[in-house]
Amino acid sequence: MKVNFNLNNKKVSIDVDPMKRLLDILREDFGLLGTKEGCGEGECGACTVLMDGKPVTSCLVNACHLEGKTILTVEAIAKEPIGKLLIDCFDETNAVQCGFCFPGFLVSSYYFLISDGEQNLDKIKEALSGNICRCTGYQKIFESVMLACKKKQLYSHRFSLIHPVR
Amino acid sequence: MKTVKKVDARRKLEGKAKFLDDYSYDGMIYGQFFCSNSHHGIIKKIIFPQEYDLSQFIIVSAKDIPGKNIVPEPECDQPFIAEKEVFHFGQIILGVAHPCKETLKDFIKNIKIEYKELPALADTKETLKDEMNSFGRKIIIDYSKNVKPKREWIHTHSVYYTPHQEQAYLEPQGMIAIHNQEQKTMFVKGTMQCPFFVKDAVEAIMGDKIKEAIIETSEGIGGAFGGKEDFPNIIAGIASLLSYKSKKPVKIVLDRSDDMKITTKRHPSRVEIDTYTDSKTHKIKKINIDYRLDAGAYQTLSPVVLSRGVLHSGGGYACEDVYIKGQLYKSNTPSNGAFRGFGAPQAFFAIESHIDKIAASLNLDPYEFRRMNIFRIGDEFPSTQKITENHLFDCFEKVIEKSDYHRKIKEFAKFNKSNDDKKGIGIAIAYHGGGYTGNGEKVLNSEVKIVIEKNGVVKVFVSNADMGQGAHTTLAQLVNETLSYPFEKTIVQIPNTSKTPNSGPTVASRTIYIVGNLLRKLALKIKKELQFENLEEFISNNQEYFPKEFRMHFVQDPSVIFNEETYQGIAYKDYSWVACVAEIYYHSVTYTIEPKRIWAVFDIGNVVNVKIAEGQAEGGIMQGVGYGLTEFFYKKGYGRMQGLTDYALPTSLDIPEINVEFIHTNSDFPKGLGEIPMHTPAPAIRNAFYNATGIFIDEIPLVPERIIKYELLKKK
Repeated sequence: MKVNFNLNNKKVSIDVDPMKRLLDILREDFGLLGTKEGCGEGECGACTVLMDGKPVTSCLVNACHLEGKTILTVEAIAKEPIGKLLIDCFDETNAVQCGFCFPGFLVSSYYFLISDGEQNLDKIKEALSGNICRCTGYQKIFESVMLACKKKQLYSHRFSLIHPVR
Repeated sequence: MKTVKKVDARRKLEGKAKFLDDYSYDGMIYGQFFCSNSHHGIIKKIIFPQEYDLSQFIIVSAKDIPGKNIVPEPECDQPFIAEKEVFHFGQIILGVAHPCKETLKDFIKNIKIEYKELPALADTKETLKDEMNSFGRKIIIDYSKNVKPKREWIHTHSVYYTPHQEQAYLEPQGMIAIHNQEQKTMFVKGTMQCPFFVKDAVEAIMGDKIKEAIIETSEGIGGAFGGKEDFPNIIAGIASLLSYKSKKPVKIVLDRSDDMKITTKRHPSRVEIDTYTDSKTHKIKKINIDYRLDAGAYQTLSPVVLSRGVLHSGGGYACEDVYIKGQLYKSNTPSNGAFRGFGAPQAFFAIESHIDKIAASLNLDPYEFRRMNIFRIGDEFPSTQKITENHLFDCFEKVIEKSDYHRKIKEFAKFNKSNDDKKGIGIAIAYHGGGYTGNGEKVLNSEVKIVIEKNGVVKVFVSNADMGQGAHTTLAQLVNETLSYPFEKTIVQIPNTSKTPNSGPTVASRTIYIVGNLLRKLALKIKKELQFENLEEFISNNQEYFPKEFRMHFVQDPSVIFNEETYQGIAYKDYSWVACVAEIYYHSVTYTIEPKRIWAVFDIGNVVNVKIAEGQAEGGIMQGVGYGLTEFFYKKGYGRMQGLTDYALPTSLDIPEINVEFIHTNSDFPKGLGEIPMHTPAPAIRNAFYNATGIFIDEIPLVPERIIKYELLKKK
């Protein structure tokens, strides 16, 4: 079937099996390799992307769900001001270990920062609970996102031109 | 203690770093395995689905192997591909390849197989109970004095069980093999810890069909934790076979459920401990340990796990009379393998639980009892190795202070009297010997190489992989700090067996301890040889001298002598130490343990990069929390665990606050850190649960279903 959707701020259209997973569409049809497959059943969060501004695990979204949707992947988020801020914070705390789960963490923390952004550990834990990391014990991830929330508040004027997610 | 940012972080964060599944080659096809769904049986018939054109598939069985059908391991007893008989669920029977992933999946799903079923052992507890199931191999550490127990000595006896544990690296296993017909080589790229192990495996399976196997790791390795120590050998071997037969590059990436079903796990254990303790002096007088591991269907590297387990099973306590026996058991489950800790977490769960049991029978605080018996200078391991530092004791006192243990013990006792929910606090201590056991490092004979290029880049060549632990950052730091050279210009190369010397596998907490210290020595040698004040200036003033290559081999300290027959002598030259306190909240309505806080104080010698070290410690502690609280496979095992949905890994909401500190960091050199954080959380949580409820549970994980059983027993 033919589907039209918005991918990383560009209109795209492809002819594809209606059951093909969004994860595979991103990786195979668009060469966006930043989105990773960790489990293929929506459990680990390594394939998280934003669909219409909300985080979803792209292994559970099929082509037939995509018509008219807006998808943002790690590749685009990494270029957004808030995405860059997060990357700086993760980098500063040496939070990244193997890094396989991190594109997913970046998307989920990005969503937390734009939708809430309060420097509140409990809220951050809740916001990241759909992403599994096996390496870090999460402590440095919490630290990074807390730091990003703080910086976002401190320099809020710089982030006033955040690209609308939807 | 410095912190340098990790060299690989930004590319990983931006999603640009390439993991195995992100590589593709011209004409590449996909491979998968067809595996047994029987625990034990003789293959009668394999029926391929008729709706497919068989000629479109490349299929390899044991018959197609030109070389040897035996995976090179410490014990060479496992075939790459099953021949007539399968010995465990998930054993590989066929390798299959096809250009389309989906077609391949459907095809394999529809292959039918008939067996003559044979008796099988799939239940670990059953397996470990009966000495008939032993492989026969025994390790004995006899430090016994044959003293008859006195009347005032208190006897304590218990049996402790630990389950399988899944490494659950987030990136599943995978390999790409490319056969080069003209040059008779096999190039293999993969996600792995030990490129030279994979080289041996590919050369073994391909026999004289290739002259050389060249193995290279992918840019990113998505976690390993021991799981990518030996299983990659099998995947690489079969991918090579498929590439050889198809004349095309073949990529095998396991999907999560296959990865969980067929790859190696942590060995389940049964540890039986008998002790006698003097009721007046509170000294442990006699320890007897029967340490058993379920190796699975084949022994593979289990003898080495057994060896480390046995050497760590006595715990950090002095005792004049110790007897330890270790054995491997055979069951019809996939061979178990390496996982962070390598036999030691099982040992420490048992001994640390047991220590609390003795303390309870003496009516002593577990802290007081540990303090009485903990290693001090002059004490001996059961292997007769002398304790030469009080660092374990220092870690222990520090963690008690940091966690405010004494105040909490009192406060929680008060709280628990008047509440149904309970609070608890527990201690565990441990050690971990760095590097290979005994003479192992001498045999490995690791070699490292540094090349200084004309343009001033210092290239570091080692075969050790960075699978997230930050090795390529910390190794570069050890070199650049010694040479007083810019960090950005010191670059550790991606391991490739045709370019990097064999500095050994990335295992056994040895990367910084052995390879890092060796690199530092080599850097010192370079400094001495070139006699420069400033290396940057030296290079630009002496261009004709570069590029220049420097190499160095590991030399074992001659005082390290270990007898592999009697298990007497120096098992490890240096030990890392840890003491840990766990605080829990027990929800009595849901029978759930909520870990609140964990403190861990380590001595790992010189800390190369404090943020990376903290990250390693926190991650290991989290895996230990999972080991103690949530992670297990159903009893009859493998058929039923399908993925991460039914195997409960700790998430951000399950993890306690973790406080890590390193002491004695002004030492000359760094020691091992990779594995030791794993040892203490499970027993500390178990001891905290006892402190909270007065219930001893000698088995992990402490899931509600298990706690209910013990609660009911208590009420009876």
